[in-house]
Amino acid sequence: MTLPVTVEGYLPFDGAAGEVVAALIAATLVSVIIMANAAVAGPWAKRKITAAFTDRIAVSKIGPMGLGYIIVDSVRLLSKELIVPEGVDRPAWDLAPLVLASSAILGFAVIPMGNGIHLADPEVGLALVFATASIASLGLVMAGYASNNKYSFLGGLRAVAQNLAYEIPLLLVGFSVVLFSGSLQMSEIVAVQSQTLVSLGPVSIPAWFAFLNPFAFLLFMIANLAEVGRNPFDLPEAGQEIVAGFQTEYSSVYFVLLYLGEFIHIFLGGAIIATIFLGGPAGPVLPGFIWFLIKIWALFLFTQWCRSIVPRVRIDQLIQIGWKGLLVLAFANLFVTAGIVGVLAA
Amino acid sequence: MSLEQPELDVGERPDGGLDYDALADLLSEYVLDREQHINCEAFVIRPGDVPAVLSTLRDRAGFDHMSCLTAQEYRDRYESIYHLRKYDDPTQELSIVVPTARDDPTSESATDVFDTANWHEREAYDLVGIEYEDHPDLRRILMPETWQGHPLSRDYNQDQPQIVPLREYPNPMDKRTEAPDNADTMFLNIGPHHPATHGVLHLKTILDGEQVLDVDPDIGYLHRCEEQMCQQSTYRHQIMPYPDRWDYLSSGILNEWAYARTAEDLADLEVPEYAQVIRTMSAEMCRIASHLLAVGTFALDIYGDFTAIFMYAVTDREKVEKLLEDLTGQRLMFNYLRLGGVAWDLPEPREEYFENVRSFTEQFRESLTEYHDMLSSNELFQMRVIDTGILPPEEAKRYGCTGPVARGSGIDYDLRRDDPYGYYDELEWDVVTDDGCDNYSRALVRLNEMEQSARIIDQCVDILENWPVDDRRIQSNVPRTLKPDPDKEIYRAVEGAKGELGIYIRADGTERPARFKIRSPSFCNLQSLEVMSEGEYIPDLIAALGSLDIVLGEVDR
Repeated sequence: MTLPVTVEGYLPFDGAAGEVVAALIAATLVSVIIMANAAVAGPWAKRKITAAFTDRIAVSKIGPMGLGYIIVDSVRLLSKELIVPEGVDRPAWDLAPLVLASSAILGFAVIPMGNGIHLADPEVGLALVFATASIASLGLVMAGYASNNKYSFLGGLRAVAQNLAYEIPLLLVGFSVVLFSGSLQMSEIVAVQSQTLVSLGPVSIPAWFAFLNPFAFLLFMIANLAEVGRNPFDLPEAGQEIVAGFQTEYSSVYFVLLYLGEFIHIFLGGAIIATIFLGGPAGPVLPGFIWFLIKIWALFLFTQWCRSIVPRVRIDQLIQIGWKGLLVLAFANLFVTAGIVGVLAA
Repeated sequence: MSLEQPELDVGERPDGGLDYDALADLLSEYVLDREQHINCEAFVIRPGDVPAVLSTLRDRAGFDHMSCLTAQEYRDRYESIYHLRKYDDPTQELSIVVPTARDDPTSESATDVFDTANWHEREAYDLVGIEYEDHPDLRRILMPETWQGHPLSRDYNQDQPQIVPLREYPNPMDKRTEAPDNADTMFLNIGPHHPATHGVLHLKTILDGEQVLDVDPDIGYLHRCEEQMCQQSTYRHQIMPYPDRWDYLSSGILNEWAYARTAEDLADLEVPEYAQVIRTMSAEMCRIASHLLAVGTFALDIYGDFTAIFMYAVTDREKVEKLLEDLTGQRLMFNYLRLGGVAWDLPEPREEYFENVRSFTEQFRESLTEYHDMLSSNELFQMRVIDTGILPPEEAKRYGCTGPVARGSGIDYDLRRDDPYGYYDELEWDVVTDDGCDNYSRALVRLNEMEQSARIIDQCVDILENWPVDDRRIQSNVPRTLKPDPDKEIYRAVEGAKGELGIYIRADGTERPARFKIRSPSFCNLQSLEVMSEGEYIPDLIAALGSLDIVLGEVDR
């Protein structure tokens, strides 16, 4: 049972109006959950994590453990002047941050978060989530091209090249999971993973696809790093080379939206991995929703870890890794998985 | 020819000295007059003969290093002095003096013989007003395009207002950011405000996609008239604080030593051994601090964002700064060296200071292995920097590269060993070189040099600890007002953090130098960026720039 249906049950009226209102309430609830996570991640967790990696303390003065910076920084960023450079391509330049932020948040519509928090469960769930995540590339190109800045332009070009090179392996690896589950429906993918793989006495290890096919899991993690643009693949905004890439000319609210989009995108990447490889919200003792949060935060930590310790590769090396390495491995993974699944089924 | 007797260049004596008569014979048709400078002899030649003389000296007499060009104006003439030396043995020096008439200060350019002459001659034109014929690109380099007059010439009026009329220059930056008209390439101004230019450097870059077709560094944004300020100050006390501000990123004592060594040789001053040991120790601390920052920011250029390496490097540098602060009372602008010695003795209690230094070097060796783990043996890092930013040794010599940049190209050139000063020749240490010629080698040379510096510091501490109490002379007797004899000229260099840091001084019998010229290693090294980055990707251009380790304060002076 999806969340809108649950909400509708509590409403005093039903019919078409009830469905719309229930859907809106449910969507707002999910968005708030995601935004709250991004708010904690952006101004606070990211700083704390990086600081821990580099022997620093980072934010500590306002609130317990510096948590007050979440509010302080929000106010600071939103109160800054919005500078519109001369010669920007207006509608596109304004739309780009919105496209980036909203496309990432749209993906969460089909993610099961446990405890019944699941907005929609279409049969093409997995394809839908990949499709929405890909819209982000469009936003990057819009931002890079409309800014009328050569650094932005280079950043936009890099973003396209990078996303092309990494989304195909990402999809192929995703499909290899579908071979196991036999369905693109998210609830089905999660359900298949709840079966027991092996039992070691009282402990039973579930058939998470990360355990069934660790190779695919690894490939997906790497491709996902490129997809969300973090080290070693943070080329579209490589600070030392092209200033800030596509986001060079953005300030104030637009800057916040771009960053919000990036963090939500990281969480979306984490949510996809959690759903198709780590059993979704499944886990012992704690409620499913908590497990879901733990999983996406662990994956967020992983991206931040890479950001702190891995050097950035060069654009030609990145393309080479994508087309010559990951794509070939992804195809190999797909064929081998298909073969094994076929033999087992027969 | 047996192995014991390598072939000697013309004018080279078997004992390593120079036979100036033989050199004069080699150049007999050109040499008008011979002068005696303190560091070497100088040949006076006609302005039109410069390329012929320099190429003869380079090809037949082995003078392959044009370390500096000094330009100055006398009452009756202009003079360009080319300071030549050899990469094999920098004690073999020769100056070529080119006088030009006051009413027509034109001299033949040396750019065809030495690429490094390009910027040196532009600077001479900019500041003094000598014009160089056949120079490929003779425009101002340190002052703005719109500047009127040549600041170091005799008739320059400092009070003259610099009016830049709007009618003539609607955009004063026009010439500096002129984009070539070509639809296939992209012109990109990197800097002067850019996260990776390490200061106010402006790179005019022409790109084909992401590949660099041409890069032209535009410098001068941080020109602070350092040479003129030194010319207006007295030898004894007033000049010493300025060197700290050339390479302001913690190589202060190395810079001070360049001035101290030049002025001491000029005025024939003794330096007590004890003071030399202290100088050596503190100079090596500065080298460590400077290299740490170089390696840290280089890692920043490769990794992006704040990385562990940068923070670790800055943490270690902080410890060196603390030791230097205990010694000199300052963290960056030390003003610790004095002509004839150092300002004061080691801090009391001495035992505690020795203990601090020792525990630092011990701990520092451990962190060095950590740097090697994170940088030199990191495969992703290697993938980024090996075989990028190639600087072949021949090119490096033509561009006058010195320091870790030259040693990263396999050129075994270190003034601490080749032209000994201070206490270096009494100590056990090695010159680090690497044959890779790429960004990786330059970083690796810096990492390994820090280890050698730690070795030197350890030995100095041992020596200082056992120094007899009644022989701790920190300064020799130096006259209160120092007036070196008139018409004495000297060029002396020390091994700074970035390379050969040289100073030319001409005395005129007063207590202030008549000409004070700084040969900054960053200035010369930066010219080679063009060779390193052509055909590379933008990230490699940035990496090459980081591996050069320039400080704009020293480039622009």
